[in-house]
Amino acid sequence: MNATTEAEPPAAAIGCGRGHNLRRAVHAEWTKLRTVPSTPWLVVAAVAFTVAASAALTASVDTSLCPSPLECHEDTTKLSLGGVQFGQVAIVVLAVLAITGEYGTGMIQTTLAARPHRAAVLLTKAAVVTATVLAAGTLGVLGSLAAGRAILPGNGFTAANGYPPLSLADGPTLRAAAGSVLYLGLVALLSVGVGTAVRDSAGAIVTVLTLLYVFPVIATFVTDPQWHERLEKLAPMTAGLMIQATRGLERLPLRPWAGLAVLAAYAGAAMLLGVVLFATRDA
Amino acid sequence: MATTTADRHVDRHAGWDGRDSFGRLVLAEWTKLRSVPRWAMAMLAAVVLTVLVSVLTASGSGYGAGGPGPPIGPDGGGVTDEFYFVHQPLTGDGGVTAKVLSQTGVEGESHEWAKAGVIIKESTEPGSQYAAMMITPGHGVRLQSNFTTDRAGSEAATTPRWLRLTRSGTSVTGYESADGANWTQVGTVELPSLPRRVEVGLFVASPFAIKVERQFGSGTVGASPTSSTARFSDVVVTAAQPGQPAPWSDQAIGGSDRVPESLLGSATQAGGVFTVTGSGDIAPNPQDVDGVRQSLTGVSIGVMVIIAVAVLFITSEYRRGMIRTTFAASPRRGRVLAAKAIVVGATSFVVGLVASFASVLLALPILRANGLAPPAFQVPSLSDGPVLRAIAGTAAVLALFAVVGLAAGAILRRSPGAIIVVVVPLLIPQLIAGALPLAAARWLMLATPAAGFSIQQTVEQRYDFVSSICLPEDGCFTTGPWVGFGVLCAYTAVALAAGFWLLRRRDA
Repeated sequence: MNATTEAEPPAAAIGCGRGHNLRRAVHAEWTKLRTVPSTPWLVVAAVAFTVAASAALTASVDTSLCPSPLECHEDTTKLSLGGVQFGQVAIVVLAVLAITGEYGTGMIQTTLAARPHRAAVLLTKAAVVTATVLAAGTLGVLGSLAAGRAILPGNGFTAANGYPPLSLADGPTLRAAAGSVLYLGLVALLSVGVGTAVRDSAGAIVTVLTLLYVFPVIATFVTDPQWHERLEKLAPMTAGLMIQATRGLERLPLRPWAGLAVLAAYAGAAMLLGVVLFATRDA
Repeated sequence: MATTTADRHVDRHAGWDGRDSFGRLVLAEWTKLRSVPRWAMAMLAAVVLTVLVSVLTASGSGYGAGGPGPPIGPDGGGVTDEFYFVHQPLTGDGGVTAKVLSQTGVEGESHEWAKAGVIIKESTEPGSQYAAMMITPGHGVRLQSNFTTDRAGSEAATTPRWLRLTRSGTSVTGYESADGANWTQVGTVELPSLPRRVEVGLFVASPFAIKVERQFGSGTVGASPTSSTARFSDVVVTAAQPGQPAPWSDQAIGGSDRVPESLLGSATQAGGVFTVTGSGDIAPNPQDVDGVRQSLTGVSIGVMVIIAVAVLFITSEYRRGMIRTTFAASPRRGRVLAAKAIVVGATSFVVGLVASFASVLLALPILRANGLAPPAFQVPSLSDGPVLRAIAGTAAVLALFAVVGLAAGAILRRSPGAIIVVVVPLLIPQLIAGALPLAAARWLMLATPAAGFSIQQTVEQRYDFVSSICLPEDGCFTTGPWVGFGVLCAYTAVALAAGFWLLRRRDA
């Protein structure tokens, strides 16, 4: 009885400062994330890979390969953002390690001792990781667009040939850019969810990369057009990256935002699985 | 003193069973591998996922069942047999001679393998036996027979050119000449079951122009019919048994649905000069769908699981400090790595063998039911050499990737990094090859570890006198099954050597 009474003041302190407590939880997760030596490297790698791969892909396409520059039908926005599908590897590793790293070192027990509400712990962690990834993603996407803007005119994609310079003032380009950042954020959520469910960095990274990359590789072998289209709609990466399309939208199996919603459904399902397993299992 | 004795004792002990200590090391590593329940589950999952995905992919594949399929040539393979034929019957031995005055493409440039010349053919039935002497715009004079035999005459020959074929029994001999007086023999071909009465005459063909256009994110393969016109003079048919000279008749052979009627061809004769226009080709029609490779698609998931287990097989020892116990027990680190490589490689090989055999066994009948069946497609049997090579080769590729994963784990000592350096070079080329120009895509697919999967190729009858569509992202390697496999072996050897070197050099 006495013990309960004595335990009262801290509990009250928690109750009275709910917002304060959340801020502390976020601060704790942010401290854990940024002080792991791999995190800054992975953020730099994500931005650098995205921009470098985008620039390399953009530089490899030239209007001279088309019958005439006007007939290229090249989606220059999508082309300039092509590096996102490579930069996401670093995002996957970053997000998976944010949770599996705690399991690997046993830190998770300390975390849960300090803050026993497990769902809240995981959601806070996911929010901090996602915010970090969104910041890195914004840098990568803006860098890619800047690289595209610099490279494209030299390859014949000039305003005279029907390709105005890439600009965020253009509605579809803005949607593609913002959507690419959101895409990376959803990939991070998916990775955190899978990482929580698998609890092992190797297993989680392989699972997420298989989901993202192997799905489309297998889809190329399916020759039945109906099934092929179904797989394109179901593959998280293929569907999610439809947000980058700015031309020929009518030929896409899904509307851009619907495609991103498919990835969001994967991320949501992974997070739900993660929260349920995290809350019910021993750490 | 005591230390020395102990040392000597240990040394002698180690020396005494030095020979079977490696066997013990392998056994110890095998115990480590099999006693982690998650890894055993993962290996089982690798088999199940591989077979499941292969079967599902096969179920989602259609090949337009019910098509009549190409005509079948004398060798039993599918052939293309479309051309314009000006002919008359010839009974018994004899021959045909003609001077090709000119050969020009209709509407634009002529196809490098457009053909004009003289031919002796069993009948006007597509797929029947033949021997032909021809001139081509890009490859000079050729003697071709029964679709798969191609012999070069003078490679730089241009029109006008004299061509002659003579038949004696079942052998047909081809000659060429620049002036109609001095003849050079190009070669003799055997047509084993040529009937006594055959059709001889002039022919013109011009194959489909294949155009591969690739841009980032989309690639189109287009085949458009071409047509060619040739003029012949001094056309003489000689027969060993003199008889009434038969009248000439002309027709388009094997006019397929693909060729528009306007391109079927025509022939006119005026003052001894024949003007013949034709389209099509007389050539093998190698099938471009590889059913065995198609039934092994699930391997791309199985390999991911195997890489994960192989990486963990060493990085988990580093994480738990187990590696120090391992090295204390067996101080010769290179042998530890070798034992680990043998254990994880052999396990992956067995797992891969089960997975790929089951995949082919289950998925091939589904593909067959979905239209990958004769006459349009040749269906391989499980006992065919190339099929067995594809199955065993797939298992070997999985084993090699496992060893690469192990070596990467030994080099980097952390699982995330090791997995990324193995998986990314495996997957990215397959994803972006379709978007690159053909030459770059071929190079990329052959220079990265993903090249190992070329061992799955079972359709490799490609003829350099037929332009065929060979796209690397479809698993078509112009270099055949072994070169890519060798590339993967080289990567494995380099990774293992680097791992071996670092393991000995660094503190554990």
